[in-house]
This record gives sequence, structure tokens and C-alpha cells, in this order.
Amino acid sequence: MTRSPGEPRRVAYLYLLPGFALFATFVLAPLMHAAWLSLFQWDGITPGTWVGLDNYKAVVSEADLRRAFGHSAVLLAFYAALPIAIGLLLAGAASRARIRGLTALRTVLFLPQVIALAVVAVTWRLIYQPTGWLGNFDLALPAVGLVGTWVAYGLTFVLFMAGVQKVPQSLYDAARVDGAGALREFFAVTLPALRGEIAVALTLTTIAALRNFDLVYLTTSGGPGDATTVPAFEVYQRAFRGGEVGGAAAIGVCLAAVIFVLTVGINRVADRAART
Amino acid sequence: MIDRREQVLAHVVLGLFALIALAPVAKIVVTALGEPGSFSTAWSDGHFGTYLRSSVLVAVAVVAISSVLSILAGYAFGLMRFRGDQLLFYVLLLGLMVPLEATIVPLYYDLRDLGLTDTYWALILPQAGVSVAFGTFWMRAFFRSVPRSLVEAARLDGASSWSTLWRVIFPLARPAVLTMVVLVFMWTWNEFLLALVMVSDEGLRTAPLGLAFFQGRNTTDEALLAAGALIVATPVVLVYLFLQRHFIRGMLSGAVKA
Amino acid sequence: MRWLALLIVLVLAGCGTPGGSSGDNAKKAQQQEQSSKKIDVAKAGKVTLTVWDQEVRGGQRRQISELNAEFMRRYPNVTIKRVAKSFTDLNTTLKLAVSGDKAPDVVQANQGRPTMGQLVKGGLLRPLDAYEKAYGWADRYPKVLLDLNRFSTDAKTFGSGDLFGISQMGEIVGLFYNRTLVPDPPKTFADLEAALAAAKQKGQVPITFGNLDKWPGIHEFQAVQNRYADPSQVRDFVFAKQGASFDTPENQQAAAKLQEWAKKGYFTPNFNGVGYDPAWAKFGKGAGPFLIGGTWLLRDLTDALGSNLGFMLVPPADAGAPPRALGGESLPFAITSKSKNPDVAAAYIDFLTDPNAAKVLVQTGNLPAMPTDAKPTEPAGVQVFDAWKALGEGDGLVPYLDYSTPDFYDQITAAVQKLMAGREPAKAFTSGLQGDYEKFTGSL
Repeated sequence: MTRSPGEPRRVAYLYLLPGFALFATFVLAPLMHAAWLSLFQWDGITPGTWVGLDNYKAVVSEADLRRAFGHSAVLLAFYAALPIAIGLLLAGAASRARIRGLTALRTVLFLPQVIALAVVAVTWRLIYQPTGWLGNFDLALPAVGLVGTWVAYGLTFVLFMAGVQKVPQSLYDAARVDGAGALREFFAVTLPALRGEIAVALTLTTIAALRNFDLVYLTTSGGPGDATTVPAFEVYQRAFRGGEVGGAAAIGVCLAAVIFVLTVGINRVADRAART
Repeated sequence: MIDRREQVLAHVVLGLFALIALAPVAKIVVTALGEPGSFSTAWSDGHFGTYLRSSVLVAVAVVAISSVLSILAGYAFGLMRFRGDQLLFYVLLLGLMVPLEATIVPLYYDLRDLGLTDTYWALILPQAGVSVAFGTFWMRAFFRSVPRSLVEAARLDGASSWSTLWRVIFPLARPAVLTMVVLVFMWTWNEFLLALVMVSDEGLRTAPLGLAFFQGRNTTDEALLAAGALIVATPVVLVYLFLQRHFIRGMLSGAVKA
Repeated sequence: MRWLALLIVLVLAGCGTPGGSSGDNAKKAQQQEQSSKKIDVAKAGKVTLTVWDQEVRGGQRRQISELNAEFMRRYPNVTIKRVAKSFTDLNTTLKLAVSGDKAPDVVQANQGRPTMGQLVKGGLLRPLDAYEKAYGWADRYPKVLLDLNRFSTDAKTFGSGDLFGISQMGEIVGLFYNRTLVPDPPKTFADLEAALAAAKQKGQVPITFGNLDKWPGIHEFQAVQNRYADPSQVRDFVFAKQGASFDTPENQQAAAKLQEWAKKGYFTPNFNGVGYDPAWAKFGKGAGPFLIGGTWLLRDLTDALGSNLGFMLVPPADAGAPPRALGGESLPFAITSKSKNPDVAAAYIDFLTDPNAAKVLVQTGNLPAMPTDAKPTEPAGVQVFDAWKALGEGDGLVPYLDYSTPDFYDQITAAVQKLMAGREPAKAFTSGLQGDYEKFTGSL
């Protein structure tokens, strides 16, 4: 007995089951478990004590944690805003001029995305060594941020190039006929067309900015002092070195919540802008 | 017609940023080559052979498991209708956004209770779980683009859903699958936090983790450290150079479809 | 929808209050002591001992390789699987490793509350008193050195109680100096300051220093602290004796002096960005007259400067005052509770600290904690030995401040970084740390 495609089929659940089971067990269940753990104060060895929402209150009240989240906000400028700006600049330049070897260019610019962050961290630590910036209280965070910029602008460039290539040439021709220069052409034609891609770039780079454990651990360990602490590093520090597992879980849950809110927010704004 | 000045300016800007992208890589290569024998010392002294082997094992396992499961699940999402498909899809999307930092703490203690920490499973299973989310999402997009006529024809011929998938559709899926394989391979290879927490046994260390400890032990010998870094980065970079079309296309379309 | 709710309920039901049974540490310790035996390793059958250590620098690397090889030669049935890491990496990863299923047998667990204290609290280390009696370790070490490795089984008391580890080497953090730049070593603290100023005038780096790794700052501070604070004052604080405090006028003077030196540019420029090892490497290449460093650097620095290397204790306020210096002993070797071969492990650490080992330590350029007849040959080595003897006789060893509370390592390293960068005045430095300290002692 055959069914025409499109009708609801029970066998679909069988196809879904293995993948979903793996996903639920190792992503969803731990997330809920993290929420559970965050309600306790636990050192990881002896039994924990119930503290309700105290760990979440600490995220706002403890100066150290506020500072860590504050540093994340600063890093957003380096990991997201700056690479997007650079990506737009490069895509604009590449689309307007006739560039030979676009593939080669793309390959080179995208390379930093492909290198393990551990290798990136080791590399940049060596580069920064003679400058001593990683040990400077005021410069350490921007120094770490710049590494994030370096990693990301290839991604944004590639994203925007793909978007630009979808723009019909007729729009550009019309603009040129009107006598538009490079800048005007960019703001009038290119930028509006890239709205979707910018939303995507913003989403991806924002998530990277909030998840930067690898880089901080391998370059500064949160130092000097506490000048480069970030929530991701605090999760590791408190859970596995400090014996504050509940607090660490709470920070992790907050990170997930922030990512969720920002992602949804960015895409809402993009959708609304696209509709106008 | 754009004038020559703009042409030159564009080339300069692009060239500058390309150079910036390459410069650190060049520095590492030059530093590593500065001391003859640094690679062999890093390999033997730094045990990078063992670490690469672990990385390959874990990456291949994760790719294999998650690819198969993603194809199956993506097939269901893409070409079948069933109750709850909207909801389950949103759950999947949500899962894609969950960072490892949020789940690492309970994952560690749960896997420890199961006796799985310090085994390859502690690295494979969580990453497979995350990769299945991405892979399902990715394959669903592909399956939705398959022309209905093809599926209908197979169905009219009496083919089961299983044979429709593997005999009729899969041959078309190769580019999409290849892209997914390449991306999952890269993300798994580069994963650091999971390895740092789950694995203490030196024999199970993956390459990025090995590099981290190598850095701790080698603060004076820069050439040695640079050699180690290159050893860790090279496999993925090689895969990238050969398949860069798939890499880039993958990140683009997957991201945009989100 | 219903099954989703069911899933959630199932998952939550699976979570109880986290944390395993509290287990009675004291009872467990008793059982472990009772089952400890001195055995003949040759009769133990095929055994693999996994050992985690941080003996990665010149002299230490040599001694541990030699001793491990000798142990395996003597007992071919035993294989030592060595996992070597830097000091920082070891401290970071030790807790996770020791509490896992495949825990190593022997680990170097730093003395004090942050590392050893936490491990003892979790019942993760095996008490060694039975082995101490069987192997006679009390005759090998002066009491003060053994006490540094003692904790009560609930880890509330530090400095007395059960023994949890024994150390190979003595450590002194003193003043290495370059004889070509310092023909006449300063005899008082004031002389030292004059020498620093003179070096600065000549364009040298008076004290080579790199604090990227954060912990070297502790040495800089305590080097200056010893000029003002009495050893007993510091010891009482570290061992959390009743009434001890960090917020004392002596400590404030020390903090102010250290900050003053930093401001005057007596340290390597941009020291917060320079690593510990690159720093002493610079000193070895002649960057300046002085380096505040530990005797674990003796081998590497001798390789660099040869007979131009000198070692002295940071000079006291008055010439001829009893010697005092920051120091103690190297990271102790401890046996994990989960080890399946504790008796072989005990024989191994006994081997690492016996008179033969002491000879090997001297030959490879290290300072043994145990008294020995072997003597070093280079001038700096002789100076180290003489200083160690004087400190032992005069009871002048001052313990590391980071031992004091489980978090003190993180707190004091960050605070010293701020102090030396001029971002925190001396009073805030001492009162801030005292506040952190009181949070802990209040819970004891």
C-alpha cells in the first residue's frame, strides 16, 4: 500500500529517533541538568546545599562576574562590530573593482577561520610577547579582542561577497547612470541588499564573542589581575578549579540565555527591516 | 566606468587585509623553521604523533556517527510530514544555539558517574550530539530542495522510504554531505574545552589540548612551540585547501538558511 | 507534548542533590593506614605506576629522568608512566584527574590549602603516616619540613595532622646575582637598594622579572616582606593561627616598598607581559645584576652564567641579623586514594627521597631537602647549600603566602599584579587580602 508523499507518516519518527536521542542526551539533558545544578552550592565532591536563585543573584551582585560580562560586551565590539565593518569594506571594494583571483583572495582571507583557536592563541601570544600588551592592565582586553577581529573578518567578507553577488547588476548600473560615486553606491545599493547577510554575520560573530574560552585560557588566563576575565573562562575556573560548581552552572545558563536573546533579537530586527 | 584610482585603491585595501590574514601564519612558519629539527623534536618530545592519532580517531568517529544520523533525521524533516515536526525543528534550532560552556559542567559530572570520562567516548558522544543538530538542519535544507517529482516517481515504483533515500536521493546529496563532513571534521578537530575537561590521560589527548600543555612546558623555546602549533593546524588546513569550496559554501548557505 | 513533559520529569527525577556520599574522611584514612605495608617491589609482579609531576626545568628534569630510569632498572617488573606538565598546568588539571576513575598513582600536589588541602578535603589523597614509620622518614627530614605536608583529615588544620606527601628538594627564593655586575654583594637591605639605584643609572635592568604567569609576583612581594615581617608572624598567618592577620603595618610597609621599586623602574619594563622562563633567560644573558628566583633555577642559570653566577639571601635590615628567606620544599609526591598500587607507590617515593637520591639531586644541580654528604662544585651551588644550612639552623624559612586559603593563590597573585602596576595603594592591598582571608577562616 503506497502513500502519496506529503501525508503524515509514522515512519518519520524512526528516522528521527537515533539522531534526536543522541542530541537530547548530550545537549538537551545536560542543559536542563545545568539549570538544576545552578540552584545548588556544590564543591563537586561533598553533597551540595540548596540555594535557590542565589547563584543567579551573584551574577548581578558580584563585582567579578559583572566585570566578566562587561568584558564580553567590550569584546563584542572587536569580535562582531569591527569584523562586520571590515567585511563590508572589503566586499564593497571587491565588488566594485574588477578583481582577478577572487577565489584565491577568498581562500586566504578565510584561512584564520579554519585554524584551531588553540593554534591561533599560541601564535598570537608569540606575536604579542615583545610588546608586552598581554600583561598591560589597560591593553590586554583590546589585544585579545584584536585576535578575535583577525579571526572573523574573513568570515564576514565571504558572507558579504556571496550576498553582493546576488545583487542584480542592473541596480548598480542604474546607480552609476545617476552619477553615484563609490560611497553612495555602497550605501544606496550594497548595504540594503546585505541586510540578511549582516544579520547572519552578527549572529555568528556574537556567539563567537560570548564563547571565547579557548583564546582567553591560552593567552592571558583572565589576567593581568582580572583584566580579561570572561564568563566562559569563569565557568571553567569556578567549576573545575574553584569548587563552585553550582555558580559555574548558573553562569553557563546565563551565557546560553544571552546568546538566545541576542540571536532572536538580531533576527527579529533584520526581519522587520527587510519588510519595510 | 570606475576610474583607475579606485581600482588601485581597492586592490591595495584587499591586499593589505589579505596580508594581515597571512602574516601571523607566516610568522609561525618562519619561527618553526628557525631551528633545524624543531619539527622532529616537537613530534617526539611533544608526543604529537599520539595526539594527532587521538584527534583523527575522535573526528572520524564523530563525523561518521553524526553524518549518518543527520542524513536520516534530515530526510524525515525535509521530505515527510509528521505530527510535531514544527516543534521538534524549533527544539533543534534551540539546541544549535546552546554553547558548550553551558553544558560542560553537568556533562563532566554525568559522564564521570558513568565511568566514561578519560575515554574517547567522552569526546565523541557530546560532539556527535552537537553535530547531529547542525547536520540535521543542514540536510533538511538539502532534502527540501529535492524536486518532488523525483520522490513521487520512486514512490509510484513501489520503493520504500529507505530505498528511496539511499538509491534515489543520496547520489544527489554528495556535495551537501561532503560539505557537512568537512565542517564537522573541522569543528571536532579544533575543539578544546571539551578535551581539557574530559581527558586527563595523556594517551587520549587531542592535538589542540596537547599544544596547550606543550606551550606550558616550552616558554623559552619558541621554535619548538611554533613547530607544535603547525603540526596541530596542518591537517585541517590541508583539508581546507583542497576542499575550500565546500568549506566556504557550507558556512555561507548553512548560516544564511538559519 | 505530553511525552516532552514526561522527558523533563524523568530527567529531573534523575537529579538528586548533587554530590556523592560525604564519606567519613577520618574513617577512610584509618582504613588506608591499616592497609599500608612496606613491601619488596621486586615481588610485586607487573605494575605500572602513573606519575604526574612538574619537574620540567633543567635540573629537575635531569634528576627525575635519572631516578626514574634507575628505579625501573632495579625493578624491571615496574613501568613508570610519567606525565610531565608545567607548574600552572599541573595545578589546573590535578583535581579533575585525581577524582576521576583512571586517577594517577603518584602526583605532585602543591602544599597548602589551594591544592593539597582541597584534595585532602575530598578524601582523594592517601595518608602516609604508616609508611612514614615503616620507612623512617621522620629521620630523613626536620620536623618543620614534614609539617608543611600535614593536614587534618577534614583539611581544616594545616601544618599538623596526617602526612600526605614528601618532597625531594629544598627551596629557597633568594637573590641570584651576576658576579661581573656585582663584585661586592650587598650586606644590608639599604646596600641592596643603593645597588639597585646604581644599576638603574647605568642603564641595566636592576631586577629581572616576568610576571605573566602571575605567581612570580608572590616571590617579589615576600622577598621584600622578609625585611619587615618576622618569620613567626608570616607563619602564623599561613597556618591560620588564632589572631593572625595580613593587614599589619609590616606588610603595608613591604607593599609600599615593592610598589616604590616598581615605580622607580627597578624591574624589567612591561614585566606583566614577560613570562617567568623568558625572564630568567634574559638574566642569564646578562640583562642586569639581580634576579629574585628559586633554587630550582640553579642548574639552568649555572648553564647560562657558569662561575659568574652568585646566590645570596635577600639581605636583612641590619648586617649580621639571623638569616630569613622565603622557601620550604619542592612539591611533595603524594599517593592518590584511588591508586591500585599504593605500596609500590610508597616504595617509589621512598626511592625518590633516599640518600642515593640526594646524591643524584646534587649531581644534577639541585638542592636536596634531606641532609647529605654530597657537595656541589660550582660557586653558586656552594652558596645555595650554605644558605640552606644556615636557614635550617636559624629556623629562618618562611612559607609561601599562597598556601593560606583555598583561593589565596588566585587572590594574592591578582593583587600583587595590581600593586606593582600602581593600580592599588598598599593599604588597599593588605586590607583587601585580609578580607579574603577572613572569609575563609570564618568558615573553619
